[in-house]
Amino acid sequence: MVIVRRKDLSLLEKLYLPEIARGLSITFRKLFEKKITRQYPEEPLPTNEVTRGQPRLVVKDDGHIACVSCGMCEIACPAYAITIDGGETDRAIEREPVRFDIDMLRCILCGFCEEACPKDAIYMSNELELADYSRAALVYDMEKLKRPKAALQKRIDYVYRLNNRWRKSSSTR
Amino acid sequence: MSPMHWDWLVWFLKANVIYGGLLGTAAGMTLAERKVSAWMQYRHGPNRVGPWGLLQPIADGVKFIFKESLTPDGANKWLFRCAPALAAIPSMLTIAVIPMGPAIPFIPGDYKYFSITDLDIGLMYLLSIGGLSIYGIILGSWASNSKFSLLGGLRASAQMISYELTLILSILAVVTLTGSLDLRDAVAAQSGAIWEWHVFSQPLAFILFSIAAFAETNRHPFDFAECEPELVSGFHTEYSSMRFAMFALGEYCAMVVIASLWTTLFLGGYNVPFWEDAPWFLCIGAFLAKTSIFLFLFLWVRWTLPRFRFDQLMALGWKVFLPLALANLFLTGAAVSYGVKLW
Ligand code: SF4
Ligand code: SF4
Repeated sequence: MVIVRRKDLSLLEKLYLPEIARGLSITFRKLFEKKITRQYPEEPLPTNEVTRGQPRLVVKDDGHIACVSCGMCEIACPAYAITIDGGETDRAIEREPVRFDIDMLRCILCGFCEEACPKDAIYMSNELELADYSRAALVYDMEKLKRPKAALQKRIDYVYRLNNRWRKSSSTR
Repeated sequence: MSPMHWDWLVWFLKANVIYGGLLGTAAGMTLAERKVSAWMQYRHGPNRVGPWGLLQPIADGVKFIFKESLTPDGANKWLFRCAPALAAIPSMLTIAVIPMGPAIPFIPGDYKYFSITDLDIGLMYLLSIGGLSIYGIILGSWASNSKFSLLGGLRASAQMISYELTLILSILAVVTLTGSLDLRDAVAAQSGAIWEWHVFSQPLAFILFSIAAFAETNRHPFDFAECEPELVSGFHTEYSSMRFAMFALGEYCAMVVIASLWTTLFLGGYNVPFWEDAPWFLCIGAFLAKTSIFLFLFLWVRWTLPRFRFDQLMALGWKVFLPLALANLFLTGAAVSYGVKLW
């Protein structure tokens, strides 16, 4: 059994009105305080290199994408979001994708593709916004996925920093 | 144009301006309510529709009109449809007798005050018509065939009966001082210096009136007719679309009317302090400013105080406010009849 003891109120408190005035003064002061709401579309969320946004393809400084269409990311993807058709190229790497689609409606932003890629070709960007008027428009093709390396550099450095904890000194970079 | 036609035209203009103002203020209050509540909670409130969210009430109105209007099974269809109008109309009618300023010089005519009508028994009219709005609430709650609505309606009626007494008794104390049921006399009695205002000669009546006004308009902390945590939404649980909007409109109009009555009876009406013959636009400005103080108080209290318990409300009304109001009226009456100048 719990006995609840109520506080004995003084006469002033029993009159209510002074206490009500006290309460009102508090809310009045709050009227002018700084607002904490984030005005979302105008004030986007802060992101940094740890943010795991949508995956993007790295475009190297020579203007070509780094991907060799090995299909590792396609297999690693738990959501079957990636579709790759490989093709040949005259460049030294010999292969490049002719089609590289990520269905953004399926992607769960897990980052497995980033982990799987042997060529540092796909990285998680800090882009989080995903809205369009049709489903078809949300299946991103290669052109929509390409990002210059500089834009993803922070994330790349971060991933290297993480992985260095396990990387043997002998392993190549 | 013959003088009679001219008077009709002036009356028509006044009616339009004042009703437009009333409905506009009521619509503005819905926005103000959301803005003030937001600011008190560190939020911004509606700010997307129009600059600073100012067009939000219009957007709300359009939305209400296009919503489906549901009538529950087993509801009394006819009463269910009438009730929102019955709740809204009385509070809109009562604004007619509030004097909002003196005659406007460049619109000559047979009128002395800026009010829709000059009525000798303005207060009587206001209280009797205003009291009718409770019928809309009770009928609406009864007709919706829902226990939550019915409970809300019953509470509203019990509350209205208890607090209407306090309200009228506190008004009577002022009437005893001015000796007239005419609101214009109440204003005239308070002209001149600021200490002529009845808030200083009748402080107790002022406080009682202010509190009873909250109960009369079903506002927090006395909004037992709605009482979301217990009764879903009280008397308008089953209402949707424009019918629901009518209830809300009635509530906000009642707030505006009570605030103007408060101004007229206790804060010197449209008088500008220390300036007996202030120009008409200053008078109307003073009236609006004083009224908005009380309108802000409505919002301020709503977002500060928690709701009472229903038995506390009843106990407060019958055991505290009623005796106080009676004693106040008795003392005022005694002082007036023995010719003691109270102030
Ligand atoms: S982030 Fe995950 S789900 Fe998205 S494409 Fe990469 S592996 Fe697939
Ligand atoms: S794992 Fe890397 S290199 Fe292989 S297909 Fe995917 S993005 Fe291209």
